[in-house]
Amino acid sequence: MHITQNNRRGRRGRRALVGALAATSALASLALSVVSAGAAQGPTLVVYSAQGYDSAVVKAFNATHPGFTVTLNDNSTGPLLQQIQAEGHHPKWGVLWVDGSQAFAALDRQGKLAKHIVPKVSFNSVGRANIAADGSFVPTGLTATGALVYDSAQISASQLPRTWADLLKPQYAGKLGMNDPTQSGPTYPLIAGVMNDLGHYKSGSPAAAIKAGEAYFTKLKQNGLVINATNGPTLGAIQSHAIEMAIIQSSAGYGAEISSSPTMRVAYLNPVTALPGTIGIDGLMPKAVQAEAQKFVDYVLSRAGQHVMQIGDPQGDSLFWPVLNGEKPANKVIPPLSSVPMQSTNPYVWGPLENTVNAWFTANINNG
Amino acid sequence: MSSASATLATLDPAAPSGAAGSASAPGEAGTPPRSARRRLPWGTATIWVVLGLLIIAPVGSFLLLATSPRLFQQGSQYFTLHYVAQALSGSTGRGLLNSLWVSGLVALLSTSLATLVAWLVQRTNVYGRRVWGLLMWVLLLVPTWMMTLGWGDLLQPYGAATIAGVTTQWLYGEFFGPLGIVVVLTTAALPFAYFIVSAGLHGLGSEFEDAARIHGATRWRTLRTVLPIIAPALWSAIAIGFAETMSDFGVAFTLGYHAHFPMATYTLFAAISNFPANFSVAAVIAVILIVSTIPPIVIQARATRRRSYAVLSGRTRTPRRREFRPVARIAVTLGLAGLFVLALGAPIIGALGGSFVRNLGIYAVGGVHLTTAAYGAILHPTIADKSIGAPLLLSNQLGVVVATATGVLAYVLGRRLAVARGGWSQRITDVFLLGTVAIPGVVLGVGYIFFYNMGFVTSHFLNLYQTLPLLMLAQTANALPGQTRFVAGPLGQVQPSLSEAARVHGAGRWRTWRSAQLPLVARVLVWGWLLTFTKTIAELAIAQVLYPPSQEPVSVTIQAYLGNYQLSTGTAMTVLTLVEMLGVIGLVLGLFRLLTPRGWRRIGWSGVRS
Repeated sequence: MHITQNNRRGRRGRRALVGALAATSALASLALSVVSAGAAQGPTLVVYSAQGYDSAVVKAFNATHPGFTVTLNDNSTGPLLQQIQAEGHHPKWGVLWVDGSQAFAALDRQGKLAKHIVPKVSFNSVGRANIAADGSFVPTGLTATGALVYDSAQISASQLPRTWADLLKPQYAGKLGMNDPTQSGPTYPLIAGVMNDLGHYKSGSPAAAIKAGEAYFTKLKQNGLVINATNGPTLGAIQSHAIEMAIIQSSAGYGAEISSSPTMRVAYLNPVTALPGTIGIDGLMPKAVQAEAQKFVDYVLSRAGQHVMQIGDPQGDSLFWPVLNGEKPANKVIPPLSSVPMQSTNPYVWGPLENTVNAWFTANINNG
Repeated sequence: MSSASATLATLDPAAPSGAAGSASAPGEAGTPPRSARRRLPWGTATIWVVLGLLIIAPVGSFLLLATSPRLFQQGSQYFTLHYVAQALSGSTGRGLLNSLWVSGLVALLSTSLATLVAWLVQRTNVYGRRVWGLLMWVLLLVPTWMMTLGWGDLLQPYGAATIAGVTTQWLYGEFFGPLGIVVVLTTAALPFAYFIVSAGLHGLGSEFEDAARIHGATRWRTLRTVLPIIAPALWSAIAIGFAETMSDFGVAFTLGYHAHFPMATYTLFAAISNFPANFSVAAVIAVILIVSTIPPIVIQARATRRRSYAVLSGRTRTPRRREFRPVARIAVTLGLAGLFVLALGAPIIGALGGSFVRNLGIYAVGGVHLTTAAYGAILHPTIADKSIGAPLLLSNQLGVVVATATGVLAYVLGRRLAVARGGWSQRITDVFLLGTVAIPGVVLGVGYIFFYNMGFVTSHFLNLYQTLPLLMLAQTANALPGQTRFVAGPLGQVQPSLSEAARVHGAGRWRTWRSAQLPLVARVLVWGWLLTFTKTIAELAIAQVLYPPSQEPVSVTIQAYLGNYQLSTGTAMTVLTLVEMLGVIGLVLGLFRLLTPRGWRRIGWSGVRS
């Protein structure tokens, strides 16, 4: 009898269990049906973007281009690239729009980018220098990485270093900061740019340039270089007088100057490295989607698109130099592009070295 | 006397289960009848299918990359141990070791502290007992990254403490190191341990202490006799504290990074934050994180095997409180207040200061400038078309669906864990659920992409990638292990004899559950729902990689501001979101109070008990 009762209890327990799970499934199905209804009509083109002004641009594009709707996956560069890599041979992105060209070069090498997407517009010289030879990615705006951002209340313009070598002098010991390349997107291009410049790299193997760069950053470390994760903490270190200056992205310095720190200024050592906001189209998408993506790229590089980019994030990413002739920066705090000594590095050479260089930097500079 | 000593004898953990009287049924591991062994266990099968789709398949897809990167086009090898060696060397190896010892220490500290606080709140006349319980909830809801940001705002040069005239430079250096890491992680694990131990203590009537004292036991001997009765709760608290600490990313990313003290979750993040991401090394670290939770479970299982701890019933008496004398009462209350000032007050003051002080952390000759500009920016966002309204609404909708689905599943799984008669199935479920607590959100998120974006799955099964349902499923998978362990303790204390009595008196299954079970577990289910609801809104790692295009949850929007150097706006949005979450908690608890019978609030588990 005891066994019979146990059996009954067991059966009832299992029925209750299955019932509860069925109820959960029903709830999940309800949720699925509700939201899938919206998803079924779903987007044909998804823009993966890390630009601060991307929401404004997508909204403006949708308003002026009836017929199909562009949707936005707005994220930091890291998660976007993780998603693209994890998606593998079943990509969902139609357009990628982030700072820097290294990731685009890698995707191009893998055959994942559409070719010849460059709109017929008038690029300025720095803009032209950052267009892929096969037309697989295009700059949409320009900032500089390695800009010398300093607090003019602590150090005057006349006291600033004039060259990269000056930063190794004793009077700047413990006064300079920079970001961690494993945390801050624009920082690897800065390190690559310094290596490119110090090694006088033109073509072939970059080994000598890497060695020259490693020696330089080792000396910089010995001179008290302070590493913080990203622009925020590095700017905070300047604001709290822990350091006096830092080599970071130009737009971060201008953003601080016009918002929280009026004494913040930006100077440029010769040379700084161009960090183009870059856009590319997924070559594995159906042709119809690629055609839509091309319209979006064309819009971004039109006068209207450039204007929205300049007003979309006025204290952040909108503080860039236009790459089109006839366009001016959004804020007067930004000097003319012609006054900035800027170099462009080859993303096909320096892109594949990112993990190696970052690992060396972490072991020897950040944790060394 | 005879009643108390009989009760004590019945619930003595040292007694064999067969001698456990009325409490023996759930503890029996009797051989199932032959007919039961032959039947296909549909309930078990259904559970594992659900767990398979929610957790096993996506996480398994990610973990396979540890030795077989080619399976998901992440390398050229079908089998390699190269990444295992890479993960165990250098800073990733150090990160694993650091995480292990920090997690062990934090688990012990938090459980000890939680036991003391739970005893003070439940068993003494300390002032403000309801307030301390409520503050534990607030502590549970504050993400660790916010705690560390708050501590940073407070202690940094020219931070909130300096503005208030307190010099903290000496503490700043100390805090941003292993000391600060252990302090913050202990305070983060404290509420988990507190609620689990509280539930155990609540079922422990004072008759057990009385019985021990009557039999001549000293205070120490009484403690040694009584504490083992709540051993499942203590072991559960240690295990969950260990797993939660192993999987924490907020502290590892902030304090750990700045102190050059690598922890496993940070090294995992670092492995996939470059391009191309090294998913294989990250997978090895994830495997070790999961495996590391097995020892606490094994120890727990060995310590509590063949014993029954069912002490909660409709006849459970309200325990008698120890009456402190006035001076001791004030001293103990001040001690508790000090604990919460340290755990909660300091970081919240820092964070609030950060949102109201214009020049926080900035050297300023002209003094402090208070401003509400950051809150004004919420109404007029500094980034065009990036307001908080729609994302916050979406996050609340997500929270409702995820918390409800998780609540149902956690109840089912919690019952299975509580009813200890299934042997291996229950043990495997237990190990599985604790192991999954240790899975970092980013692993779950990327694993969902690998599995649910596979050609075979999208063509023949489900095409859910980049839809809200997939995000809901992932958030449910993320919340399920923790919530199951949260409700399993209280569920395990409900005596099955209550349901049996109801059935004997002719009640149907539904009425039996509604009248004999629900009143005892209603409160833990409501608090569990609130826990998942709030954690879903604050969750970032999964939302960041799985949210559907143009449907941003609020955590992603806040991150966009924080990552775009607009820290004050991001902080103000975070504060506003927290306030909104607290409002929902108040609303739900108010409705619970209005709509449920008074008796439901008197018996059973309570998150805030005085």
